[in-house]
Amino acid sequence: MGRTSKDKRDVYYRLAKENGWRARSAFKLLQLNEEFQLFQGVTRAVDLCAAPGSWSQVLSQKIGSPQGSGHVVAVDLQAMAPLPGVLQIQGDITQLSTAKEIIRHFEGCPADLVVCDGAPDVTGLHDVDEYMQAQLLLAALNIATHVLKPGGCFVAKIFRGRDVTLLYSQLRVFFSNVLCAKPRSSRNSSIATEAFAVCQGYDPPEGFLPDLTKPLLDHSYDPDLNQLDGPTRIIVPFVACGDLSSYDSDRSYPLDLEDGSEYKYTPPTQPPISPPYQEACTLKKKGRLAKEIRSQDCPINTVNTLPQPLAAPRRHTLMASEVEDSGMNCSA
Amino acid sequence: MEAPEDYVWPRATSELMLLPVTGLECVGERLLAGEGPDILVYSLDFGGHLRMMKRVQNLLGHYLIHGFRVRPEPKGDLDVEAMVAVFGSKGLRVVKISWGQGRFRELWRSGLWNMSDWIWDARWLEGNMALALGHNSVVLYDPVIGCLLQDVPCTDRCTLSAACLVGDTWKELTIVAGAVSNQLLIWYPAAALVDSKPVAPDRRVSGHMGAVFSMSYLESKGLLATASEDRSVRIWKVGDLRVPGGRVQNIGHCFGHSARVWQVKLLENYLVSAGEDCVCLVWSHEGEILQAFRGHQGRGIRALAAHERQAWVITGGDDSGIRLWHLVGRGHPGSGVSALCFKSPSRPGALKAVTLAGSWRVLAVTDSGVLYLYDLEVKCWEQLLEDTRFQSYCLLEAAPGPEGFGLCAMANGEGHVKVVPINTPTAAVDLALFPGKVHSLSWALRGYEELLLLASGPGGVVACLEITAAPSGKAIFVTERCRYLLPPSKQRWHTCSAFLPPGDFLVCGDRRGSVLLFPSRPALLQDLGLGGQAEAGAGELGGGGDSGEEETALTEWGPVSILRSLHGKQGVTSVTCHGGYVYSTGRDGAYYQLLVRGGQLQPVLRRKCCRGMNWVAGLRVMADGNTVILGFHANEFVVWSPRSHEKLHVVHCGGGHRSWAFSDTEAAMAFAYLKDGDVLLYRALGGCTRPHVILRESLHGREITCVRRVGTITLGPEFELPSFMQPEDLEPGSEGPSLIDVVITCSEDTTICILALPTATGSAHALTAVCNHISSVRAVAVWGVGTPAGPQDARPGLTAHVVSAGGRAEMHCFNIMVTLDPSTPSRLACHVTHLASHRLDEDWDCQRSRRRMVKVDPETRYMCLAVCELDPPDLGPLVAAACSDGAVRLFHLQDSGRRLQLLAETFHHQRCVLKVHSFTHQAPNQRRRLLLCSAATDGSLAFWDLTTVLDHGSAALEPPAEPGLPSRWAPPCLTVQAHSCGVNSLHTLPTREGHLVASGSEDGSLHVFVLAVELPEQHEAVGGAELAPQLHVLEEHSVPCAHAAHVTGLHILSPSLMVSASIDQRLTFWRLGHGEPTFINSTVYHVPDVADMDCWPVSPEFGHRCALGGQGLEVYNWYD
Repeated sequence: MGRTSKDKRDVYYRLAKENGWRARSAFKLLQLNEEFQLFQGVTRAVDLCAAPGSWSQVLSQKIGSPQGSGHVVAVDLQAMAPLPGVLQIQGDITQLSTAKEIIRHFEGCPADLVVCDGAPDVTGLHDVDEYMQAQLLLAALNIATHVLKPGGCFVAKIFRGRDVTLLYSQLRVFFSNVLCAKPRSSRNSSIATEAFAVCQGYDPPEGFLPDLTKPLLDHSYDPDLNQLDGPTRIIVPFVACGDLSSYDSDRSYPLDLEDGSEYKYTPPTQPPISPPYQEACTLKKKGRLAKEIRSQDCPINTVNTLPQPLAAPRRHTLMASEVEDSGMNCSA
Repeated sequence: MEAPEDYVWPRATSELMLLPVTGLECVGERLLAGEGPDILVYSLDFGGHLRMMKRVQNLLGHYLIHGFRVRPEPKGDLDVEAMVAVFGSKGLRVVKISWGQGRFRELWRSGLWNMSDWIWDARWLEGNMALALGHNSVVLYDPVIGCLLQDVPCTDRCTLSAACLVGDTWKELTIVAGAVSNQLLIWYPAAALVDSKPVAPDRRVSGHMGAVFSMSYLESKGLLATASEDRSVRIWKVGDLRVPGGRVQNIGHCFGHSARVWQVKLLENYLVSAGEDCVCLVWSHEGEILQAFRGHQGRGIRALAAHERQAWVITGGDDSGIRLWHLVGRGHPGSGVSALCFKSPSRPGALKAVTLAGSWRVLAVTDSGVLYLYDLEVKCWEQLLEDTRFQSYCLLEAAPGPEGFGLCAMANGEGHVKVVPINTPTAAVDLALFPGKVHSLSWALRGYEELLLLASGPGGVVACLEITAAPSGKAIFVTERCRYLLPPSKQRWHTCSAFLPPGDFLVCGDRRGSVLLFPSRPALLQDLGLGGQAEAGAGELGGGGDSGEEETALTEWGPVSILRSLHGKQGVTSVTCHGGYVYSTGRDGAYYQLLVRGGQLQPVLRRKCCRGMNWVAGLRVMADGNTVILGFHANEFVVWSPRSHEKLHVVHCGGGHRSWAFSDTEAAMAFAYLKDGDVLLYRALGGCTRPHVILRESLHGREITCVRRVGTITLGPEFELPSFMQPEDLEPGSEGPSLIDVVITCSEDTTICILALPTATGSAHALTAVCNHISSVRAVAVWGVGTPAGPQDARPGLTAHVVSAGGRAEMHCFNIMVTLDPSTPSRLACHVTHLASHRLDEDWDCQRSRRRMVKVDPETRYMCLAVCELDPPDLGPLVAAACSDGAVRLFHLQDSGRRLQLLAETFHHQRCVLKVHSFTHQAPNQRRRLLLCSAATDGSLAFWDLTTVLDHGSAALEPPAEPGLPSRWAPPCLTVQAHSCGVNSLHTLPTREGHLVASGSEDGSLHVFVLAVELPEQHEAVGGAELAPQLHVLEEHSVPCAHAAHVTGLHILSPSLMVSASIDQRLTFWRLGHGEPTFINSTVYHVPDVADMDCWPVSPEFGHRCALGGQGLEVYNWYD
């Protein structure tokens, strides 16, 4: 497959590169904002699990420094290429120190908006992936309880798998309005059936004390309110956002789009920084990965090494001894 | 429609599952495999043969099994019974099982205990269990009564990705936790003085650059192994982990996997790791790779078990296959390469060609025209003969057969051929066949009765020589039987030949990639009065020959049948006849299954080899009936098994361009090649096969995208299953004739699989796989289901036409025939015949060259297919395809599926079309109407009338916008905005009022309405053109939050009942006909990402069956 094939298959991937976004997910936040006006009146926003930084890019453009009023803090465990107008914290969102650092950057004020577009590296085992995604969301929610102002908004990626109703019930505890939203730039046929939980009106239960020393665990099925296989389940309303006339992420478009612009290949905006497999790739490139011992790598000078049934009684001819003396092997 | 109050609504129960194997454990001589919530119990015997004993169902409810922990028995007697803790996700259950006297019984099971968090590891501590939980805490649990005894968190409550518990008592319990920070945390839960007071980690170990997925501790050597996301395995010297403060030293950093490593296991002498690259590696403790097991497909190996006493490694894959491998330690015993040390002062000249007569005699010829023999038993070179006419250019081929008949043939550049008896080289026979170069030599052997040598000379002439031996065995006779003529091409010579049983024809392959059929005794045919045809063929082909040729006494016979350029320009490499089929291989990386019917060659199926093997050199049929493929993969010679996807032998020979020879006998296989002026010989005892065992065949390597039931085969009592395969407690409905459903699945892994699902055993058998697609297969549609010999024949069987489509706008049509075959485990065999294929880009390329018009290929994917059968049926059906470029395309299949033609397209939706569904409307005294419904990502449905599409002057199609393009459809009869976003499922059912139409969407909603079809009166039609029917929506209902995710499966079972399936893993029944659909009940199933569902009634006793396809396959049934 050529380098343009992904451009052909995914119009948003291509538009993201052409518009300088670090990932196609930038369109998702833009379309969520179109529907929910997430950025209205927001001056302090936190982007959790920010790498590679496309959501921070959107936040800094929409509420960032040019007007001098907005502050964007991006948090990620991994290093991220710097972005103008975005303050970066390389830290763990499960640590209290991270929450304190965010608050410090906002000069003691709580945030208006917390977003999290993080997803774990999928392992392909669906139950593990769904659990890991849920833990990431709950960790994001846990830190949001520290930094979010009452009435604030929280947007996080969810996988709509088997146990998504448990997450909905957890989110409903903290927010007055929980919706499931899917931007049109998110694919229908995407393997990870991702969507976004849009939680508005932060309103923690009375007497709730934020505590980062204990993880928020997901709820379990409730025989009354949220049944495993019964009719009562907490399924929050679903909203498809983005204009219907915008590009369809599932559709394959020709390289020359209808607006008449001529296609030109654009390289990816921001390649990944130090992925975990970097060393393995370097070794592979140099041909230094361990290789299995192949039969021909074991030097066998004569066929004597073949096991018994085939090894005929040796005849002491001149030729045979010559063979043994020559000491050749084939490991070259 | 009114259901009585006491009506019992159906409830679905799981009948069969094919899911990734996520847990494996050897217990004594048994193997436990975890698949979904079930345990499969296999019994192992010493031959490595395994037999499934029992499926223990539903141990973990809606959780999936991730591991087993067998309670250590103080008496060490696990051969009779065992107490097994089964865990996965947040669930834990203990089950006591017994397997004395070859009979399996479940004695007792505890309740299913739900933990507050994910269980990463479990360990028996006397009667209780210690569990390592998701956020770095350890609990002590009584698994019998289900009671939490202690709960100790670590001070660092990070999310874990793996954990390993060490120790046999709570006091000495040690946990090694793999944290998100890629560190290992070692801590001691018993250090908590007060319950639930957090314990600080004793040691933090860094090293891995990614998350740790698996750990294994070997107490006897004090070693710990870790497998990680960074594609490496690390070996740590930790000493006794139970002693706090010990030193941890990294003694090995093993890079060998080409993707993430999921599993690792330390054995006394080995380290076994397996990962996303589907490879299981065996390492020494020093970090050297000793063995590599390849064969699983898809997303990797998920489970690993070892039986140290038997030296077995057992792997379970994402492909739901289970395989057993033999640990042999260093190297490959019984196989190896030896240099035969040809170079010597007594043997001047350089080697030109090598061949093998049987697997123990090597023949080689030098550039001075000397023929040498190397006998493996004598171990020395012997000069057979010298003929200076054969210097500089010499072909050398030994005759086939286990000992090569003791014959070999040489040919030179001046048209000479020499046939040499190896034992008496002085009796060699010389022939001067051609005025020029002999291009190729090949043998053809029929039993032990007839031996032919074919030699290609200039101008495409092939001389056919018959070789017979004198009764004394000392002398041989070579007579020229006839001459054949190949079709003209630049490189006009044959490459291979074989007798077609019973022996009247020869199948040949040529350098131009064509497969040809010649009569083996053309003169005899001529005598029978059939010669005219052959001669005519010769005359037609011989147009390029000069007049001198015609004067020769011998007639040159043309082929009676030819498949031109079947293998492309690189040529055919071998032809083999087996089991009624002809197999040809070529340098296009494929092998073909062909059939000779009525004296004509017909391609049946093209099959691909493993990735990267573009030079397929040959095919062998093993004693067990399986085929192996020989080929060159870059600079390696590979023997590859299509059944196990395993490279059985790999020889670094430098490629296939130099002279090489292959031979296999029962005792050994041999591969000889020239390298550095010497002959190298690879030999493997026991032939091509390997002793590895496939315990369970794999299904698909990637997600299933579509599942369709073809039909049911009814077997009478005379075909009863052998008793050992019968389950112990028969399901109701399994009395009487046994029924086998035939189901087709297709997958992202580019293959289509045909499965047999017997109702009696709850098992699944993959009958065959079709791998013609170059990209993912997303949809299949079936039509024309019948029996192989027509309705009169009572023998069980099934035939059907299948059309499949997927990525890269590719479509294939084939025919399947399922017949009885008592030799297979399913007792069925499936024969596939490829009929036609179509690719949109080729279609466009074709148009472009004709019309000078450029249309860029936008990587269109076909999303869904629907077949519409026309009246009369012999017109061939229409196939509607939903396309990702926003079009619905209509194809016409003619000539019983052999011609697939693009008829029309519509860009009505302007968005990716996700679903198409066809149905017919029958009204009294009216023509049967063909209706099509299409649905797109914007949630709209469009209805089209296709009845008159093929009629002359029909208004259903409009002429194309530009000449050369396909016709365009008329606008839809009706559009309905049913959902806010993409429609992922669609179904209809005819009712009294019209049609019940149901759709399910990405937003989790269902939409149900009644579609009324109003046909215009016949006499109203003016000028012969029929008017389109009027469609109306009568009663419309919507259920907004029916599911929490995409509704991907929907089936209206009756006017009052509907079933839906979603990615939220619920199968839900809905009651229809009383206003809004109402919830009846739902069942949680285990297949994630279900992409498709099919439902069908089986029999009144057995009820309904429903197959769900996603990341695996699950079959449910319910009684009506």
